[in-house]
Amino acid sequence: MSAARTDLRLGFIALSDCAPLVVAKEKGFFDAENLNVDLSREASWANIRDKVTMGALDGAHMLGPLPLAVNLGVCGEPARLIAPMSLNLNGSAITVSAALAQAMRDADPQGMSARPRTARPLAKVVAERRARGEPPLTFAVVFPFSIHNYELRYWMAEAGVDPDRDVRIVVTPPARMADRLAAGAIDGFCVGAPWNVQVVTEGRGEILIYAAELWRVGPDKVFGVTEGWAERNPEVLMAVLRALIGAAAWADVPDNRPELAAILAHPRYVDAPEEVVARSLLGSPPYALGEPGPEGLDYLIFDRYAAGFPWRSHAVWFLTQMVRWGQIDPATDIAAAAEAAYRPDLYRTAAADLGAPTPLVDEKVEGLHASAWTLDEATAPIAMAPDVFFDGRKFDAAQPLKYAAGFDIGRLKA
Amino acid sequence: MKVLIIDPDEARAALVAEGLADVKPLEVHRVSSFEEVEGDLPRLAPDVIVIACESPDRDTLESLREANAGNPRPVVMFVDRSSPGLAEAAVEAGVAAYVVDGLSAGRVRSVLEVAMSRFGLMQKLRADLHKAQADLASRKAIERAKGLLMSERGLSEEQAYRLLRKLAMDTGRPIGAVANDLLTFAGVLKGDDR
Repeated sequence: MSAARTDLRLGFIALSDCAPLVVAKEKGFFDAENLNVDLSREASWANIRDKVTMGALDGAHMLGPLPLAVNLGVCGEPARLIAPMSLNLNGSAITVSAALAQAMRDADPQGMSARPRTARPLAKVVAERRARGEPPLTFAVVFPFSIHNYELRYWMAEAGVDPDRDVRIVVTPPARMADRLAAGAIDGFCVGAPWNVQVVTEGRGEILIYAAELWRVGPDKVFGVTEGWAERNPEVLMAVLRALIGAAAWADVPDNRPELAAILAHPRYVDAPEEVVARSLLGSPPYALGEPGPEGLDYLIFDRYAAGFPWRSHAVWFLTQMVRWGQIDPATDIAAAAEAAYRPDLYRTAAADLGAPTPLVDEKVEGLHASAWTLDEATAPIAMAPDVFFDGRKFDAAQPLKYAAGFDIGRLKA
Repeated sequence: MKVLIIDPDEARAALVAEGLADVKPLEVHRVSSFEEVEGDLPRLAPDVIVIACESPDRDTLESLREANAGNPRPVVMFVDRSSPGLAEAAVEAGVAAYVVDGLSAGRVRSVLEVAMSRFGLMQKLRADLHKAQADLASRKAIERAKGLLMSERGLSEEQAYRLLRKLAMDTGRPIGAVANDLLTFAGVLKGDDR
């Protein structure tokens, strides 16, 4: 007979990148590990944070920067959270209203025909509006400590738009973005699937750039637990990670994607039309109505290219953006903060149980590979995707402050 | 002290507001979503914001932790370190509090405690109502099943009830559920599924 089942309560937010948790539940990966998991849909990242730190949830789907920010005491009550696994790469996009897209096209038709699309047309619109004495444009993100916030800021600043001075950035819940855009309360936003594609499908906005174009394989969500919970439940944690690794691999099999879309679309999970969820998981996601994106864009990745591995260099990159935008003190010990939160050691142990190839290094230099490459520093060679940034920058986690100070626009005084 | 209640559940918000009427001096404003007061926040100038955890607006509130032109008074989550377990209890009750200025912890705590108790009360009221509705539905099913047994099998009311009770005991299920099954199967036999 099997051992007693372990009851767990895990939280998630209604976004397509909660897929590994949902698949583990619906396709039997938790069952196979003798885990009886109750998935709890939460209304906010603040709820996720508080419920995990206070023990009302055993673990949750989290924004990658969230454990770092909580541990550093800049987001809610300080606690010790760890990320032993990454749940996905890419998935978000920068979307603007149809009206702003038109204004950008009028101001800079050439810039609006180039891909990847930079924020230069936006810079022109911002300058025109200022000359006319109009209020600044408003953009929304889902949380201050999120890839979405950093991605939007990075993209704007590259073209000389200061995200703090030239536009207004506000926080809006993901599922409310579309309505606020339609109502004119916001002019654009950066959010994860399927809420970005939803607006395009309804013809109310355009996607200017996908995360996969901005940084070919950028980090996004993680699975997070408290350090204390991980220490008290080492075997349960391994069982959860094995289930999630198996589920992520299932979710990346192209033939499984239609079924994945159907599962995620359910009211219990993402609660969005199945065809909208499917568009961000299959084939070419759209830029605008009748304008499909490039075929083969790695729009949302769960498992390929070592996607589940919680790279310390991803944590350091998030920390450099927190420094850059004045969220944390530049004197913060960045290496120590990354090391305390991102736990590749735990991932490696779980992956070894499954015999899954795993990186043997904790960091990689980002932006070096313009084409596909192979990671040989792994238990078995791993096929990796190009990892370039759209502005051609490189990021070396060994020199975080130099990187953070190396941008023309930022709140860091070097 | 001015309190802003954000709760998509209007009945519950009213219950909290009513409970807060005893905490004086106090001015209570309630909305179902932060959007309703966003532009108006400087004028409303709440000292405490009580928000239901099921509202997606918590993240927006969290982003107001820095003072700026549109938001001259920063908003921070209220955590009372002198009352261990209070934050956990609040999360358990499904409510969070944010303070806008350096109010005394005791005054904020009394507001949060009222909100927590009213959230708990609302949950109990809803549970009671749900149970009452379920009981009523179950009683109706039993009556109909009895009537069916009386007409189809020629039993007396007493006999019909005893048969239902026996079926419930034999299968270890509530009598209302057995009655429902009987009605469903009888419907199928009569061809109601077509």
